[in-house]
Amino acid sequence: MQVHKYDVVIIGAGGAGMRAAIEAGQRVRTAVLTKLYPTRSHTGAAQGGMCAALANVEEDNWEWHTFDTIKGGDYLVDQDSAEVMAKEAIDAVLDLEKMGLPFNRTPEGRIDQRRFGGHTRDHGKAPVRRACYAADRTGHMILQTLYQNCVKHNVEFYNEYYVLDLIMVEDEEGQRRPAGVVSYDLATGDVHVFQAKSVIFASGGCGKIFKTTSNAHTLTGDGMAIAWRRGIPLEDMEFVQFHPTGLAGLGILVSEAARGEGGILRNSDGERFMERYAPTIKDLAPRDIVARSMANEVREGRGCGPNKDYVLLDLTHLEPAHIDEKLPDITEFARTYLGVEPYTEPVPVFPTAHYAMGGIPTNIKAEVHSDSEKTIPGLYAAGEVACVSVHGSNRLGTNSLLDINVFGKRAGIYAAEYAAGADFLPIPEDAADDTLNLLNRIRKGEGSEKVGQLRKELQDVMDADMQVFRTEETIHNAVRKIVELEERYKNIQIQDKGKRFNLDLLEAVELGFLLELAKVMSVAALHRKESRGGHFREDYPDRDDANFMKHSMVYRDDSAEMEGIKGLRFDTKPVTFTRYEPMERKY
Amino acid sequence: MADFEAREPESKVQLASESGGAGAIPTFDVTVQVRRYNPEVSSEAHWDEFKLTMYGTDRVLDALHKIKWELDGSLSFRRSCAHGICGSDAMRINGRNRLACKTLLKDLDLTKPITIEPIKGLPCEKDLIVDMEPFFQAYREIMPFLVNDTHEPERERLQSQEERARFDDTTKCILCAACTSSCPIFWTDGQYFGPSAIVNAHRFIFDSRDDAGDMRLEILNDKEGVWRCRTTFNCTEACPRGIEITKAIAEVKQAILARSL
Amino acid sequence: MATPLKTKISVPRSRDNTVSGVKYNRASSKRNNFEMMAWLYMRVSGVLLVILIFGHLFVNLMMGEGVHRIDFGFVGGKLANPFWQVWDLLLLWLAMLHGANGIRVIIDDYAERDKVRFALKIALFAATAFVILLGTLVIFTLDPCPAGTAAELLPSFCPAP
Repeated sequence: MQVHKYDVVIIGAGGAGMRAAIEAGQRVRTAVLTKLYPTRSHTGAAQGGMCAALANVEEDNWEWHTFDTIKGGDYLVDQDSAEVMAKEAIDAVLDLEKMGLPFNRTPEGRIDQRRFGGHTRDHGKAPVRRACYAADRTGHMILQTLYQNCVKHNVEFYNEYYVLDLIMVEDEEGQRRPAGVVSYDLATGDVHVFQAKSVIFASGGCGKIFKTTSNAHTLTGDGMAIAWRRGIPLEDMEFVQFHPTGLAGLGILVSEAARGEGGILRNSDGERFMERYAPTIKDLAPRDIVARSMANEVREGRGCGPNKDYVLLDLTHLEPAHIDEKLPDITEFARTYLGVEPYTEPVPVFPTAHYAMGGIPTNIKAEVHSDSEKTIPGLYAAGEVACVSVHGSNRLGTNSLLDINVFGKRAGIYAAEYAAGADFLPIPEDAADDTLNLLNRIRKGEGSEKVGQLRKELQDVMDADMQVFRTEETIHNAVRKIVELEERYKNIQIQDKGKRFNLDLLEAVELGFLLELAKVMSVAALHRKESRGGHFREDYPDRDDANFMKHSMVYRDDSAEMEGIKGLRFDTKPVTFTRYEPMERKY
Repeated sequence: MADFEAREPESKVQLASESGGAGAIPTFDVTVQVRRYNPEVSSEAHWDEFKLTMYGTDRVLDALHKIKWELDGSLSFRRSCAHGICGSDAMRINGRNRLACKTLLKDLDLTKPITIEPIKGLPCEKDLIVDMEPFFQAYREIMPFLVNDTHEPERERLQSQEERARFDDTTKCILCAACTSSCPIFWTDGQYFGPSAIVNAHRFIFDSRDDAGDMRLEILNDKEGVWRCRTTFNCTEACPRGIEITKAIAEVKQAILARSL
Repeated sequence: MATPLKTKISVPRSRDNTVSGVKYNRASSKRNNFEMMAWLYMRVSGVLLVILIFGHLFVNLMMGEGVHRIDFGFVGGKLANPFWQVWDLLLLWLAMLHGANGIRVIIDDYAERDKVRFALKIALFAATAFVILLGTLVIFTLDPCPAGTAAELLPSFCPAP
């Protein structure tokens, strides 16, 4: 077993990880551990844009952006973090531009901006052009630009190193702190220990819990699950964003920019149904509302296609040249995967699991919370894996790219500053034992269950019971199934017993993460008996501020029980308010 | 742009007759031959054949997943986003470099077995996984980052729409290596910088905000630089992002010439 | 965020830095204009050769009685003319260098081992040099009126034997 020593270790090389690496790498000795080559990260799949109140094309200011973010998140947003994000958004965009990001330009040569769902002028009066973009590949450009700058600053990458454990030890004052991480080198099958003064989680989301998802195959919630296994709570896990426009049946993302540029959703009558659900901003309502409206249209029999199971995104009234300039990639997806020509035919779309609003609880310095009040010195998280919480119960489009840049940068700076003034904690002798045991157990498993089958059953039940509409009954059904799958998971067998590039082994490990997160998600959803943002309970269709205006925190605790499920402990964390009183959320 | 409210014409589409590309999904049988190599087991590569029943919209990646998840878990390949954005799954499908996630089975000739091999010119590590490090080494050597030492403005650097459009094509690169590993010159000894590195140099050379174009041109004026391009257009044909790579290489050649003469 | 310009590119410290295997080591760079000039030469000489070759073919094969009048006398007569001497000399040099460079490129593209490349290139250069020198020698030293040859085989300007 090899031991490496770095001041800062960053887990994940997506947008947040690399943004942190650029900051930390210039200050202290930094390593980035990533299970993929950095440019494979799913930040690259983001399309539409990154909002910042630059006011390059029309009047705007960051306070309006803060309000939109808070309202979009159905007031479950920590308002201090939303203010930080909206304020620092402007610098985040300018930083990227100076790093070389090729934004689309206005005729004056400034960064161009366009409309995006839920972003409005003057507290909801009309859609505002706030999203800075590079065609419909803004995420791709961000990922490339950040990687380019990591190359420029000689950031040390450990490519295809799966982090499988976080080493937490007690320091002299009895404070639990990270001492490093345990990782698995995919190429050789060796386990490496990385000793570090600060650790930053930037490992992304867990969309693969669902079957229909815009997420990559590799988004299996590793970071969240590792932290959770080490006693760190997970915040607001019941909130999952379903993106309204996934290609029907496939889940591949069609950016909200399609609607920002004028695309219209229609049902089988050709009706622009969003007029009924959000009379003011119509198709540019926040994603939870649009997704729910779409699912409702389908449920009430106004879906399209032979099975009436999707609605249509109509771009046919836009000029082909305009589509080519602003939306080249997504129109190509429609052509490649569905054989639909967006110039002349509407594109079949249906909601797809897109983003986990919840995650590892952090504060505005990206420090990880050990409970509702205290933070863990030296442990940081940023991006989708974290819950700051700027997204509350529903994230606005473009705010994820903002989140990774603002809080990725903050995580990098604060982690490096902490590391500069801290000492290494000794790595215990048995630090890697849990990981080795886990790998050995799976490698030697002689059971009859197959990983692919279990994962499919998990994804199917989550799609059926934990999607846009939830009830007590469906969630119970999901929990029952997850518990059953957890039992069967103990009885798996993999075929690849080798050491070299053993992806069979890692898919089995990832399934373990997915199962645990699915359980946390479902149990948290069971507990939240209200409807808010991305979490819609048909048996409790209204928002209930009196009982639920608070973050849920789920801990791993073998001695506790939550909603009848053993091994989980529930707690809450208050929502931070600064100046916005909760109002009814209408668009 | 026209006002948002004003632009809401009727759909041009007759919805009733519209089928939307979906529908009853046909199934079909395919035979897939995958080149297997695992140095832990044998130093020789061999072909494995699988017979699968697949659906109308399935991609080659779905076939590989079906094999891995249902038939042979030891089959190893990289993949992530599964819709042509991340660049993980470039491979040789029926002798052509493509992304497995962007190649629909129905677009291939299904009367014959579909052959799947790792991309050529990079050392094979296991099955369809190759060592990408030589590829990224060439990428890093062309200084793939914006260099601008002039006074930093408070706001963004200005750039006209024409200047931005000048290098738009080459910003699309996802570093999948489909181009470089389709280049017969790269196959010989792997010393050629390769189309992808040149594409990424092009992206900065023609960016009006960048000041290090001269240095990149100098780097690509190498014995293993642009002059090794034989304009076989393999790269342009292989690019899953539709970048006109050979044209970009030609533009870099012209820029070097213009600078030298 | 001011970032220092890195004028020299070092390979970033990735895990492969420790691997000393040959496959990661790109050849040390050779930065001079030779390859550019060679590339340019191929294009320029290509255009010139088209003119020279078609001129040559037209004069030799089509003008007058065409191909049937070609004999020693015809060739010797042409090469006694300084215009055709320069024409043929250009044709010889440009074509030989064009062809040799083409073969050099093919050797570079298809010979994988350094030793094989070296051997092939030595052979190529030797052959090229031999042909060029021999050809040049002939162009300048050909005697159009060798003694003791029947007059009907010789150019018309030769003095009667």
